[in-house]
This record gives sequence, structure tokens and C-alpha cells, in this order.
Amino acid sequence: MFTLPETRFDLCGDEYIYAEITKDMSAESNFKAIAITNELRRRNIPGIIEIYPANASYLVRYNPEVISPTDLMDYLKEIDITKSNVSELNFNSRIIEIPVWYDDPFTNEYAQRFKDRNLKHEISDFEYVMKANGYSDKKMFIEAHTDMLYMITMLGFSPGLSWAFPLGVPQEKIIQARKYTSPRTQTPGQAVGIGGAFSVIYPQNSPGSYQLIGISGVPVYDQKKRFNAFSESVFLAKPGYLWKHRAVEEEEYRKIVKEVEQGTYHYKVKEFNFSAEEYSTRKKDYIKQLMEDF
Amino acid sequence: MFKIVKPGLKATIQDMGRYGYYHLGVPPSGAADKFSFQLGNLLLGNPVDVAALEITLLGPEIEVRKNTVINITGAPINVFINSREVPMWENIEVKKGDIISFEYKKNSGGVFTFICVSGGISHPKVLESRSTYLLGDFDGYLSKKLEAGDEIMLSETLPGAFKLVGKSLKESDIPSFPNDIDVHAVMGLTSSRITDTGIRNFLTNEWKVDIESNRVAYRLKGPTIDYADYNPPFGSGGSYANVVDMAYPIGAILLPNPEEVIVLLNDGTGGGGFVSMGTVISPDLDLLAQARPFSTLRFHAVTVEQALHRRLERKKKLKDIQENL
Repeated sequence: MFTLPETRFDLCGDEYIYAEITKDMSAESNFKAIAITNELRRRNIPGIIEIYPANASYLVRYNPEVISPTDLMDYLKEIDITKSNVSELNFNSRIIEIPVWYDDPFTNEYAQRFKDRNLKHEISDFEYVMKANGYSDKKMFIEAHTDMLYMITMLGFSPGLSWAFPLGVPQEKIIQARKYTSPRTQTPGQAVGIGGAFSVIYPQNSPGSYQLIGISGVPVYDQKKRFNAFSESVFLAKPGYLWKHRAVEEEEYRKIVKEVEQGTYHYKVKEFNFSAEEYSTRKKDYIKQLMEDF
Repeated sequence: MFKIVKPGLKATIQDMGRYGYYHLGVPPSGAADKFSFQLGNLLLGNPVDVAALEITLLGPEIEVRKNTVINITGAPINVFINSREVPMWENIEVKKGDIISFEYKKNSGGVFTFICVSGGISHPKVLESRSTYLLGDFDGYLSKKLEAGDEIMLSETLPGAFKLVGKSLKESDIPSFPNDIDVHAVMGLTSSRITDTGIRNFLTNEWKVDIESNRVAYRLKGPTIDYADYNPPFGSGGSYANVVDMAYPIGAILLPNPEEVIVLLNDGTGGGGFVSMGTVISPDLDLLAQARPFSTLRFHAVTVEQALHRRLERKKKLKDIQENL
């Protein structure tokens, strides 16, 4: 069981309410953001235009000519209180495998090209993140990133890009990185990046400021819904879904890329019901159990 | 149909925006100056939200492929039909084979000009809207700047459209496009991460619009704004500039470093981890978007009540103009 502190609400301009659950990132804050925004979506309140769950906060856009900002804020506060005990929270989830070629030449080339915008380090982004997290061995670092089960905690920045945060890992073990001091104007599509405590995959070539550590063999955006993991949405990520990275070498990476091109690739997916209560009491053991038959 | 002969600086298809997908990373997009955009549609008797072309500073050259009625609204620009100059804010008949061209207006203000056409643009919608989002990956013309050779599909010209030719907006109803503007904002968001002096510096100094501005965001240069001496929260990346990545409102005023302020516009990236200090009120976003690079800006803090009042005033103005058309 856990209880979160009171959410901080802020009226932004004439159309938005920002709700900050906590300043720090934690899985529990995100569970609450998912629970409240799911509930709000279910209630279908006229005048609400956007409901946006974020990592440790959420944002609501409304039309003030339909619903008064203060009435809506009071209403959100009521929902917020009922969802402060997240132990009752369950949601449909899935584990999806993401094959990643770590320390690959594509992302290394971009990191080199934009190094003037990065923190002053003369090494590759991969090596920087590895060393900054206390690893001296490439294999150990890759193992750490692939062992963790990352939960999608938010989408945004570009269509289908998602933030993923590791579950069942103590704060001091979470892989973290500082961001570029000024964003790159380009990032290769499917690049894997680390920024703060989050792991992301860039859906397409776009700006970006996360340190680049590898490249995914599979897309996270599929406009034509060609692949099995995209039956419900053109985006692979949804808040509450879990991603499991798997390290591949060049040969397998190229094989997967080819299968994707031919439309024959099959995503490894497991559907299940996530219990926040089980997670909050058993943490690592619960994650282990989820992974048993994957 | 309109055929793009020369693309100009940046021409895109826009309507009133795309809603309900922001949480998936798809921003609202839509006309950069909705006031001018809506006036163009109202003048033609169109529903206010049908799609039009948005052009930027240097206009395109367009070959008209059917007889219809258009008007040009928004930022001042010199407009020509077959080399004959025609007025803005007035319905003009165009015929198959006509060439619409533009010339940059010096010593003037404004960035975005709209070409509205009777019935609107009819390209297939993506996610329920015909607004272009350049960083998207949408089919058709909705994720790109229009290029030479592109063919813009038009809806059926509205019944009675030709009777509206010559109809124009009263001189006093035409919006102005100054290079020196006052913008109102509700302060807040994660502003506790900025010093009081920093907030004061923001509100009491003048700002210049930087050349690196676009539909995603306007970058502003001005005084230094210091971050408060505050331990960055866990997960944010460990810099004074960062918060745990959050969803930004459109209009959010971000502080990526002490020397730069960024205001998000309609193509704003939904999420990010920069410290923010407030939100520009929605009725002022058109004004901001129309501020040319090197324009001067002053920010004024307002309450939510004052923001709502300004919003209603503007809505009333649009309605009054519509009633007097």
C-alpha cells in the first residue's frame, strides 16, 4: 500500500489545467496519472478537449465557454482524492519485446555530428551513459538495460514517441543521463535514447536531446498497421504497457530490419492485467513473475 | 484545383486544428492566426473551419485550375492575379488558367497569410483534421511544405459564391500586424524553479523574436533569467533547467537555459522536461505568431479571470464583424 501526497493544481492560461502529482519520478506517481486520466476519459465530460497523462503529472485542456475553470479544477480534485490510494488500480497491459543493436554506427554517427550541442564529452553517447552510471564493461551495461522492464509512462514530443521508466528497480540502480545542452536537429528514426531516468525510442527522424545508446530493429509507429502489435493503434506505446529490450548484434539487426521491410516481422507480445497493488507490495518479485513465461 | 507553380518559403494546408491526439504526441496544429483565418472563411460564406492555404512571408505562385472565389487575409503581402495587383481582405473571382502570385511586403508586419477559397480545400483528413503537421508522418500533403507541382484539391464552390465577389472587410475591422506587441500570460507551471528576480526580469524587460522561430515555437532573446538553487528532482536529468518530463500547454513559456525563452505554438511538442514559468493566453497566440523576427515583445501577467475576459472580448469582436458583413 502506498499513498501519494496532495496533487498540485495550476490553471494555465484560459484553456489548461496542469496537475503535478509529484515533482520526482516514481512508478506510483505514474500509476496515479494513468488511473485519473482513465477515469476522466470514462466520464466523458462536455468541454474537455484533451486528457494527457504524463510521467508524474497530467494536463487537461478544456473549453472555458463550456465548463468553468474553477468548477473543473474542483472536479479534478475530487477524482484525485479517490485515486490517491493506487492499490485498487489494475489496468490491461502487455509486454512487448524490442530488439536493440546497442552502440551501433548509425546513432554514433549522429552523436558525433551533434557533439557541439552535447555535454562536453569526447566519447560516444553510449560510452558516456555507460560510464556515468558506473559501468566499465559494455556487456554489463547492456545487460542492465535489457534486464529492466520499462513501463511506458507517457507519450509526446513527436507522434508515437514514448517515455519508459524501469519498474522494480531501486532509484540508485536506474540508468540515468543528462540531456544535450541544446537539442540535436536530427535523430535517426528508431534510435534508442536515455534522458533523465527515461528510455525512449524516436519513432522517426526528429530533433531530440537524449543521449543515444542504440537503435531498435523494429518500428514503434506503423501507420498502415501492418504488424501484429498495432491492431489497436498506429503507435506501439501506450501508458501502462511494458517494453523489454533485447540486445541483438549487427547480423540479427539486419535480418529483423529486412523482415520489417517485407512486412513479415512478428512482434513478441504478452497480454496481461497489471496490478499496482501486487507491484507495490512485491515489486521485483512481481516483475519476475510477469517475465516468467515471456 | 490549385497547382503550385513555385512553393514560396513555406506553404501548408491548415484548418482550425486537430484535437484529441495531443496525448499521443500529435499537437493541435491549425492556422497560426485563427482570427485572420476565420475572417477569410466568413467573408466567403464558408463554415469557419474549412481548410485554407497558409503561406509564410514569401508567397507561392499558384495556377488556378477552376473558376472560383478566393480571398487573402492575414499578414500584409502584395497579391497579384496575372500580374495585376489585387486587394487583400476582399473576395476575388479567379478563373481557370489564372496565376496567383505574391510579393513580400517590406516595412510591414506579420508572418502568416491565408488564401481562403469558396468551399475550402478538400484533401482527405488525417486524424479528423486537414491541418498540416510538418514533424508528423501523415499521408498526402499534411506532413510537408507544398512543393512545385503539388495539386491542391478544392471542394465544390459554394452556391452563390460568385455573388459575393467584391465583398470586403471594413477598413476598421482589418486586424493590425504590429512589430511591437504586448502579450498576456498566466504565470505558474513550474516557475518555483526560477528566482523571483528572474520572473521580474521576464515581466519588466523587452524581448526580441529570434530568427529561429517557427510554427512549433518562438524563441525569444532578452535579459538573463536565473534558475533557483534547487536540487533537480529525481528522474529529470540532474540539471537546473529540467523537470521530470511533463505535458506542456500550447502557449507554455519555457526556459531551456538562462539566456533563452521559448513559447510553444500550435505545432508545439506535447511533452518535454524544461522548466516553465507560465502560459500565454489563447487569444494572444495569433498576435505572437504574427510577430516577425526582431519584433519587440512585452509580457504582462494576468489572472485567469482576466484571460477569460480577453478571450470573450475577442470572440465578440469576431461575431460583431460577422454580423456586419
